[in-house]
Amino acid sequence: MSNKVAIIASNGGVFDAYKVFNIATAAAATEKEVAIFFTFEGLNLIHKQAMHAVPLPEGKEHFAEGFAKANVPSIPQLVEMAQELGVKFIGCQMTMDVMGLTKDDFIDGIEVGGAVTFLEFAKDASPTLTF
Amino acid sequence: MSLKADVQLDAKGLACPMPIVKTKKAMDDLIDGQILEVVATDKGSKADLAAWADSVGHQFIGTIEEEDILKHYIRKCSNEIIEEQPFEHTISISELQTLKSGVLLDVREEVEYAFGHIEGAKSIPLGELEDRLNELDKEQEIYIVCRTGKRSDLAASKLAANGFTKVFNVVPGMTSWKGNLSKNI
Repeated sequence: MSNKVAIIASNGGVFDAYKVFNIATAAAATEKEVAIFFTFEGLNLIHKQAMHAVPLPEGKEHFAEGFAKANVPSIPQLVEMAQELGVKFIGCQMTMDVMGLTKDDFIDGIEVGGAVTFLEFAKDASPTLTF
Repeated sequence: MSLKADVQLDAKGLACPMPIVKTKKAMDDLIDGQILEVVATDKGSKADLAAWADSVGHQFIGTIEEEDILKHYIRKCSNEIIEEQPFEHTISISELQTLKSGVLLDVREEVEYAFGHIEGAKSIPLGELEDRLNELDKEQEIYIVCRTGKRSDLAASKLAANGFTKVFNVVPGMTSWKGNLSKNI
């Protein structure tokens, strides 16, 4: 059985963030080796400023109340927890170039790499998930 | 009600995946064989914690539900193999029902006993055995059972070292018991 879980985060909304980080932290807590490849809008989720203001999808703003009521941890909290549990964050170099961003725009402890960096990790991972 | 646990974790009010993450962290500090009680309100924690324990190799003992509170009991297990010489006198668990005399001694933790034991079994957790030898009769046959036969093996050797001669380790253990279970919950 594979002990790796590979996740691609390619969207930057609140719903996407919770899908990505809940699965990642739960997998890491279950002693899986986890890597998340952040690409395109997914980079929002680990951007130093943007991660504090991740938007709800248009027309779904009313869910904010539900998130507060369910006592769901904040996105920065989930990010910190994921890193503490050893989840590897890989930022997509190509997207960063397109958006004019550098490694310094992101939280500490991330790796920057291309598609092959992720593929190398994901080749024997099960499951591989895309959000 | 609350059962005896070595460590308690308060996960009330926390949503997924926090109960799992907190349980994992708490479990890291336990020693092998200790029992963690996780008190949670997340309804999903019942299925999640059982699956988590199963996946990482700990023993999920059971859950007590009281109104909105869920109390989960998990026993820490490692995969270490005991290299010592096993206790020589054994009896298969399937033969237990044919026995006419003797006492069945269950050396699992109180919580495990509470969630299911063989009718009439006497409960003395392995850790308390040394101090409770006076509750046992040297003239009677003593059949010792645990979950998989490891703790009962240690208990059998301990009794033999203390002058008990009619001691048998029940193998493999409760995991293979096909009969009825009595509960104290």
